[in-house]
Amino acid sequence: MTSLLTDHLISSLIAVPFLGIAAILLVRGQAWARWCALASSLVTLGLALALWSGFDTTIPGMQFVERVEWMPTFNIHYAVGVDGISLVLVLLTALLAPLCVLASWASIESKVKAFMSLVLLVEGAMIVVFTAMDLFLFFMLWEVTMIPMYFMIILWGGPERVRAGIKFVIYSLTGSLLLLVGILGLYLQADRTFDLQEIIATGISSDAQTWIFAALFFGFAIKLPMIPFHSWLPDAHSEAPTAGSVILAGVLLKMGGYGFLRICLPALPEGSDHFAPVLLWLSVVGILYGGCLALAQTDLKKLVAYSSISHMGFVTLGIFAFNGEGIQGAVMQMFAHGVSTGAMFLAIGLLYDRTHSRMISDYGGLHKAMPRFVVLLSIFSIASFGLPGTANFVGEFLVLVGTSYGGMLKVLLAMGGIVLAAGYMLWMLQRVALGPPSTPAGAMLPDLGGRELLTLAPLAIVVFTVGLYPAVLTETVELTVNGLVEQVAAALEAAGSPTD
Amino acid sequence: MSPYLLIPVLPLLAALVLALGGRRLGERSHRVGIPAVAGSFGLSIAALAEVASRGPISVPLYRLLDVGNLAVSVGLYVDQLTVLLLPLVTGVSFVVHVYSSRYMTGDPRYRRFFAVMALFTFAMTMLVMSNNLLVTYMCWEIMGICSYLLISHWAERPSAGRAATKAFLVNAVADVGLGFGVVLTFATYGTLDIQQILAMASSIDGQTIALLGLEIERNTVIALCLLSGAVGKSAQVPMHVWLPFAMEAPTPVSALIHAATMVNAGPFLLVRMSPLLLLAPAAMVVIAVVGAVTALYGAFVSLTQSDIKKLLAYSTISQIGFMVFACGVGAFGAAVFHLLAHGFLKGFLFLSTGDALSATGSHSHGTPAVRGAHLRPLAIGALLLACVPPFVFFSGPYERIWSAQQIPSAGVAFWVIGLATVFLTALYAFRGVVSLFGTSVGRSLSVRPRLSSIAHVPVLAVVAILATAFLTGLWSLFSEFLGPALAGGPPAEVPSGITLRMAVPLAVAVAGWGFAYYRHLNPVSVPVPRRGWAKTAYVLLLNKLYFDEIHQAVAVQPTLRFSNWLWRDLDLRLIDRAVHGVATLVRHCARWLAGTAETLLIERPVHGVASLARIWSGWLERTAETGLIERAPHVAASGFVRASGWFWRIIDRRGTDEALQRVGRLADDAGETLQRIGPRTLRHHLVIIVCWLALAIGLTYWLII
Repeated sequence: MTSLLTDHLISSLIAVPFLGIAAILLVRGQAWARWCALASSLVTLGLALALWSGFDTTIPGMQFVERVEWMPTFNIHYAVGVDGISLVLVLLTALLAPLCVLASWASIESKVKAFMSLVLLVEGAMIVVFTAMDLFLFFMLWEVTMIPMYFMIILWGGPERVRAGIKFVIYSLTGSLLLLVGILGLYLQADRTFDLQEIIATGISSDAQTWIFAALFFGFAIKLPMIPFHSWLPDAHSEAPTAGSVILAGVLLKMGGYGFLRICLPALPEGSDHFAPVLLWLSVVGILYGGCLALAQTDLKKLVAYSSISHMGFVTLGIFAFNGEGIQGAVMQMFAHGVSTGAMFLAIGLLYDRTHSRMISDYGGLHKAMPRFVVLLSIFSIASFGLPGTANFVGEFLVLVGTSYGGMLKVLLAMGGIVLAAGYMLWMLQRVALGPPSTPAGAMLPDLGGRELLTLAPLAIVVFTVGLYPAVLTETVELTVNGLVEQVAAALEAAGSPTD
Repeated sequence: MSPYLLIPVLPLLAALVLALGGRRLGERSHRVGIPAVAGSFGLSIAALAEVASRGPISVPLYRLLDVGNLAVSVGLYVDQLTVLLLPLVTGVSFVVHVYSSRYMTGDPRYRRFFAVMALFTFAMTMLVMSNNLLVTYMCWEIMGICSYLLISHWAERPSAGRAATKAFLVNAVADVGLGFGVVLTFATYGTLDIQQILAMASSIDGQTIALLGLEIERNTVIALCLLSGAVGKSAQVPMHVWLPFAMEAPTPVSALIHAATMVNAGPFLLVRMSPLLLLAPAAMVVIAVVGAVTALYGAFVSLTQSDIKKLLAYSTISQIGFMVFACGVGAFGAAVFHLLAHGFLKGFLFLSTGDALSATGSHSHGTPAVRGAHLRPLAIGALLLACVPPFVFFSGPYERIWSAQQIPSAGVAFWVIGLATVFLTALYAFRGVVSLFGTSVGRSLSVRPRLSSIAHVPVLAVVAILATAFLTGLWSLFSEFLGPALAGGPPAEVPSGITLRMAVPLAVAVAGWGFAYYRHLNPVSVPVPRRGWAKTAYVLLLNKLYFDEIHQAVAVQPTLRFSNWLWRDLDLRLIDRAVHGVATLVRHCARWLAGTAETLLIERPVHGVASLARIWSGWLERTAETGLIERAPHVAASGFVRASGWFWRIIDRRGTDEALQRVGRLADDAGETLQRIGPRTLRHHLVIIVCWLALAIGLTYWLII
């Protein structure tokens, strides 16, 4: 049994959420559905931690690989495995899922079974996306993640949910279509294989790399999102129910960054290099643009949504710096953003449960009635703008160091984004938490209860642990990133030498 | 493990215990904070003794980051500079902790207050002990957030929240410079270890960096970045605006953070990096100018302030300006001396102020004698404060500037500015005391001094020792002790005894007192000028040269307006509308396809084919019956007639046309139903297109086969 589990750790990791769905559908009553969802997401978290502890940081490349033939006619395999980058994102997914279940515990009152199943479905699908070594599998589950999100938004969302849901789906479908074109391009160029390792080993011609990169880029850039493909995000984030926003901001956006790291950089180094200067500047513009827009928001969820655009700019900035600091920074930033922004949405959700308002102007002086909440909200706010000691600082600092090899101006401008972040977060805090209570009812709000504290506190611990002892994650990622950087450098050198 | 590790760790543990300790601690919170800080203070003194006898100590701790080329090790580096600052930080922190345990009694957030104070003490001790620029930066920011949390301590006041946000944001802008400096330092030196950087500094001399099309020396840029950080944290013009507002914090906080310790981080950083600064003469000039302008500005504005805490805040701005000025002219030792003396004194002054203010506010009966007991420490402190700046003029580098300045007029300018500040300091210090005595007439005080009586003895003792040591020629000892930690070692020529040039600053300070005293004895009938340039100057200074308004108009409002414009006009009107426009376009296409194109392109051709078939079969029938039978062989003809009859029956009567019409009706119905049930959303139109396309394809397929 033990060996079965250890041999198929990733498959078990994938299977548990789906078993959870089956259990939810079998049990009677909403209470049991909640407990089933919590149990299966906790087991997933446990397995993810087991995966992490079993992960050997001294070996580069994929570990825990499982490979089974699936559709031999098209050379499609069920192939999964993890390296450092995947592992970090799997951990993030597994960490956020139980918290999403907890956050929806009382706030989702109708169709609980359906909702919990969707949360688990998206968790399972996301884990496959982050572990897939076969592009067909990757693409299929990439698409699958969209469906539960759509239903979460249009069934449990805010007043504008239908519009937001359709916008999200159409945007995602457009991206997916181009992603599919890119993946088929890779398939054809690499002599009809979907296996990523083989595709990387093939070495695709420069011309093909350029257009395949362009196709993949749209898929990833829409998901990430990079400006100007971001306009689905504020709507989807703000209309989705709390758990939906957390999954969207916490994990779903990272699929874009992961795609760049997993497919574009190793398989299309020349294509990436070709577009890198544009993408770097686009990232810098995105950082400042998202920051400015967040400053203008009057709606708490939209503020956090726009801040995500700004923070994801750091991810692409790091990725396309093509060096160890930048890419590790990007991975750290993805993790940190997932945790801190996920926590922000959780916190706003708790507030929304009490007052059913997302407007900043409806709040004020919360410190009086909800001191515990304000402490946690402050922690995640300061983490959001990357205060040293939090995980976000590590990510942003590494990205900035990585960027510095390619010119100091970008560093300076990107730092402007940090100032903007401090601006919108502290201003929000000032209006929401400080000052006299805005209404008599505001002074009577109940503070966080035990379950709510349990939703937020673990994330605060993670934020500080990673911030003060980043090695806990950087060691996991290090060899993978070094390998990636060497691979890209070697490919670029090989491509550059004939022309010289 | 060195015991000195406990200097930052004890307050950190205290902060953790207080933060996680729960409500049980409540009013007993100070019992955690005070012993921890006392322990740190004791160890600081021990460190001072050990460094004095054995030289710098370095304690490696742990590897914070090891990514690519970037390796950051957290470690302690305790040298002469550090051990001089540690007693200041931990000592004042200890006194303030003791003071606060009484001052904050009854505060609902007593535990939070002590937790943040302990965290601050950790950050500041770590800052002065850090061996790594990144760790320095981290502590720098943590101090900033502690300051934020303490300014907003009395969060019910809207002004407290605003002041806290303002303080942090102004610092955040300035810290972009510092952060950029850290990244640039790494990009230049490949390490962030301070000692390594300083050792390599001269080898980098002359290397340039292209920034915004300009070629600037790297060391100069780094020095200016450090200055930028100092300008924010140490409230130098034009980033000083946050400090007066920070007086919203409880008075003990003002004493610890906004007077004695945190605001000194700027000069500390400049002194710490002094070997690098000396390689950047252009930056040094900028530093000196910023310091001089701030020193004068703060002193002038202090003259007009009536709120005692604001007066002290501007005085702090001015004094730190003086330290930065000293750094700018290369008098690093003097800056440190000034920093220490001013830190102790200002902390003490604030505590006395807190006492006096709370006493003034609480009782209305009393005797002048008690009032005097409250105000005496304040008065003594204020007068001593005026004595501090002149000491700076004793240090060697000033001599050098006086004698060897490249541009003689610049040296003269420095001297004039320095002396003006000395004069003004004496003036406003005396005036502040006098006005305090003056305003409290009629409001007598009867509360026993809480702590100033305890605190002023050691503080005054320290200041007195420093001053005496200085005057009795121990300045050379001080500068010799500090020498190894500074650029260029101790000053070459340490003047002994009082020369004429040294007597001048003291004389100026005394003149300032004299003038203030004279004005006090012979008050002009109108204390506030009513007309002419004096009035203009007074109004300008009273409004602090409108820096707050300028910041609002130049930075804050435009950013907010630009953000709003960006959101409403660019993001919603342009990008979002473009996306919606594409959607609308698709919808219109779908409607057109479902309506016009469907009939024109698909239904009509289909009907056309059907009627063609009908015509053809009719023709076949006619010709077959009239002409063909008679002309062709009979068998073939009858076979053909049979076939064509069958063909006609199938195709025309029971076949295509009917089926087509039936399917067409069905499709129409389906389409109508879909349109009826579907709101005007894109999704339904898409469904309709797909249905129609499927139908059309199906029909064509069926027809062709």
